Amino acid sequence: MNGEYVMPPDAGPAWRAAVKYGFDMSLVEESLKLTPEQRLAEHQRVLDFLIEVQEAGQTHGTK
Amino acid sequence: MAQNDQALLTRLKASGLDFVVIGGVCVVYHGVPLATFDLDVCCPFGEANVRKIESAVKDLHPVHRLTANKLPLEETRSSFGSLKNVYLQTDLGKLDCLGEVAGVGNFDEVKRQSVVSKFSYGEFRFLNLDALIAAKKAAGRERDREAVRWLECIKEKHDQQKELF
Repeated sequence: MNGEYVMPPDAGPAWRAAVKYGFDMSLVEESLKLTPEQRLAEHQRVLDFLIEVQEAGQTHGTK
Repeated sequence: MAQNDQALLTRLKASGLDFVVIGGVCVVYHGVPLATFDLDVCCPFGEANVRKIESAVKDLHPVHRLTANKLPLEETRSSFGSLKNVYLQTDLGKLDCLGEVAGVGNFDEVKRQSVVSKFSYGEFRFLNLDALIAAKKAAGRERDREAVRWLECIKEKHDQQKELF
C-alpha cells in the first residue's frame, strides 16, 4: 500500500514540524524500535551498500 | 573506500584511549536515519594519547587525510605533542579525533555529558542527546541543521515517554 504518513496522535510540535518539512518519520519510528547496537549495525549495512554503489559509479564513469 | 566503525571503535578501545563518540555515528546511535561516512571521537590530546591513537591504527596505513600530501601519521611523530585534532584516513575508513567539541567544550566536559552504552563488542561512551543537539547547532552546516531537526523529534519523543512514567 502506498498511503500517506499518518501523524501519531501524540506527535509534538517538533515532530509535526519535521513532517511538514518533508521528513519521512516512518524511518525514525523504525530506528527507535531498534537498540543502539542494532542501529549502528543497520547503519553499517547501509554504508557498505552506499560505498559499493559509489565505487560502481566511479568504475562506470571511467569506462 | 571501506568504512568499518565497529572495527575502529574496537581498536581505539583496545589502545586504552579514553574517548567519546560524537558526530554522525552518535547521531545514528540516538536513532536518526542519516548515513555518515566517518567516525568522529573526542579524546584528550597530548603525546601519550596521540600515540594510543597511532597504536590503534598503525597497521592500517593511517595518513593525515586533510594535508595536501596525505602525510603518513608515523612521519609526524615529532608533532604529536602539539596536535589538537587528528583527521585520518585508514584502511578501515575515516577516523577523526577531536580535542574539543564546539557547543559542548573540552574532553572533560564532553565526557561529563556522555552516556555509556554496552554493546556485544564492548562498552563505549556516546555524547548524550542534549549535548549532541548543542554540538550540531554550534557546527551549523546544512547537514548539521538537518540532524538537529531529527534529534529534536527524538528528544521530544523521549520527553513524552518520561512524562508517562
